[in-house]
Amino acid sequence: MQTFLDLLSVLILISAFILTATKRINSYIKAFQLQSFLLFLATFTLGIYNFTTKGFLDIFILSIIIFVLKVIYIPRLLHNTYNRVAYKVEKDFFINIPSSILICAALVILTYYSLYSLDGALNIHIKFNLVNSLSVVLIGLFFMISRKKAIGQIVGFLVLENGMFTTAMLSAQGMPIIVDLGILVDLLTAVMIMGMLVFKINESFDSINIERLRNLRG
Amino acid sequence: MYILLIFIPILQSLLFWRTSNRRSLHLINVTGSFLLLLAVLSLLIQLQSSSAINYPLFNSFFYIDSLNALVLATTVLVGFFVAVYSVGYLNNEYKLQTDIKKIKLFYSLTSAFIFTMVLVATTQNLGLMWIAIEATTLASVFLVGFSNTKRSLEAAWKYIIICSVGIALAFLGIVFLYFSSHQALQGAEPSLNWSYLFEQARSLDAGILKIAFIFVLVGFGTKAGLVPMHTWLPDAHSEAPSPVSALLSGVLLNNAMYGIIRFLSIVNKSLGSSLYTGRLMIALGILSIGTAALFILAQKDYKRLLAYSSIEHMGIIALSLGIFTPASLFASFFHMFNHSLTKAMLFLSAGNVLQKFKTKDIGSINGLLKSMPLTGSVFLLGTMAIAGLPPFSIFSSEINIALAAFTSGYSIVGSVFILLIALAFVSIAYTLFRMFFGLPSQEQNSNEKNTLGNAVILLLLVTITLTGFYMPLFLKNIFESATRIVTGG
Repeated sequence: MQTFLDLLSVLILISAFILTATKRINSYIKAFQLQSFLLFLATFTLGIYNFTTKGFLDIFILSIIIFVLKVIYIPRLLHNTYNRVAYKVEKDFFINIPSSILICAALVILTYYSLYSLDGALNIHIKFNLVNSLSVVLIGLFFMISRKKAIGQIVGFLVLENGMFTTAMLSAQGMPIIVDLGILVDLLTAVMIMGMLVFKINESFDSINIERLRNLRG
Repeated sequence: MYILLIFIPILQSLLFWRTSNRRSLHLINVTGSFLLLLAVLSLLIQLQSSSAINYPLFNSFFYIDSLNALVLATTVLVGFFVAVYSVGYLNNEYKLQTDIKKIKLFYSLTSAFIFTMVLVATTQNLGLMWIAIEATTLASVFLVGFSNTKRSLEAAWKYIIICSVGIALAFLGIVFLYFSSHQALQGAEPSLNWSYLFEQARSLDAGILKIAFIFVLVGFGTKAGLVPMHTWLPDAHSEAPSPVSALLSGVLLNNAMYGIIRFLSIVNKSLGSSLYTGRLMIALGILSIGTAALFILAQKDYKRLLAYSSIEHMGIIALSLGIFTPASLFASFFHMFNHSLTKAMLFLSAGNVLQKFKTKDIGSINGLLKSMPLTGSVFLLGTMAIAGLPPFSIFSSEINIALAAFTSGYSIVGSVFILLIALAFVSIAYTLFRMFFGLPSQEQNSNEKNTLGNAVILLLLVTITLTGFYMPLFLKNIFESATRIVTGG
């Protein structure tokens, strides 16, 4: 099972790379969906394992909730939001794709070095998974600053959140269930609020290009 | 009693949708905040006799000791003052009958906001605390963007994006902490309860805790407005309606700082010294005070200026928490309390000024003392208080912080601190004082009065002046036992 989880954590990292390589909003929503599906698989595996060895159902239930929320509901929400505000396809990034990929690779190397210098109680699998999932967090952050559209920032935030969740799942086998559920509720509310704000921004600024949000400075 | 704390705000925000009468809306809000204040007072009385109040319900998530009682008390106190002030403020702002919906929305969002902050201050489960802090952002986003203008929408967007990302980083810190307790306590059920982690602090892995602390400092530091993660703060505070600015600055920042304090005590106990965390906190603190002092000089908008002054004071608190001696901790709790009340007062008086002159531009307001004698003088005295002049309470806590720095061997830090707050004083005096003097310009737009609001700001002024001279015994007890809780001694 450990190898399977290791594999999934690498795949989640790769899906983050796929995300930075996408050009259109629809395709990065799909990339996010793929990543969430991988996260669901990881949680599902842990859930089955926990159920068979310890008899706890909570991670299993959590994985179902993740599937419904992150694989089905939130991508649909994003698509709806996008369809209602978009009227033309524009170039959407500040940094071109090859350099973004290089920067992301550099981020992975940075994470690798900063975590491997940590000696202590960490076993090799956990270190490996931490490197992958923390890199996803950093790539999510980078994605947020490299895109111009408000929806790009939402997707970046979601990816960052996926990385966070992966860290919790693969290093500590999930937080206490109430915390996990609370996080998902918070996330759902956050995405809905961000979606509503995107509508409002689109109404007042006639665009969801965040470059136009520059009245407040200094 | 605890159940009351949680239910009053929830009940309140539901009740608002059952009525359409302006009067009853105001009445519900004020009564609710007053009841909340009473509930917290009874908790404080209970705390005088026992060290912590713990409810075995729900895996002992609910836990109140002097440290969170302090945060809780400032939250509901400022909440009550803001509720009373809002009556007149909203009546002046939304006069039409069709605006009732706006008032409803405003009230239900503010009570949801208060609810999330009460939750932050009453749970000891660090995971739940994180969820509640994230929820404070979500509850207040629409309050920041309440006026629906381009500027306020921009502020709201920045606020939700920057704070959510920051808080997400803090969550990584909590994951690391949980993970280290998972590793250290093989066999035992790992827990995120603060009292348990604090007890076990010495067996946690120091290397992992160090990483965890950085994540938490950056994460909650974003929410507390520490430089360089502060960029959302001036926008949100200046664009939000004034009562909301008072809540954001007076209460929300404290809540975020409280999250850092809980972590700080675990990490310091585990590492055995405060050197590591101290350096980080002091560096961020000095950076915040210095940056804020410089930015204040360049401000043209008085609410934005007050927001930068909040960054300065959060920096002061971070610095004195970083020194981590009993004296400095005492001073920083005192400063938290003082800053909340003083800044709430300032934002509320700024709200009066804004309603009268309809502008936030410092340059176009003159002779405030003549045109608005009461608000003007409170605003002027408050400005002096926030800049750190005696006899106000901020002066006494700042002098305590400086003393604590010098007596514990941080003499360079102490000198830099004094220099920087002097700089901040000069910037505030230079930019803001010109509003008060001179002749008022002839065109005065409106003559609305907010009598209750004026009573509130006067009451706050009296409080911050009195606590500058004399600290009541129960306040001193709370600060002292909070200090003991953080140091573990």
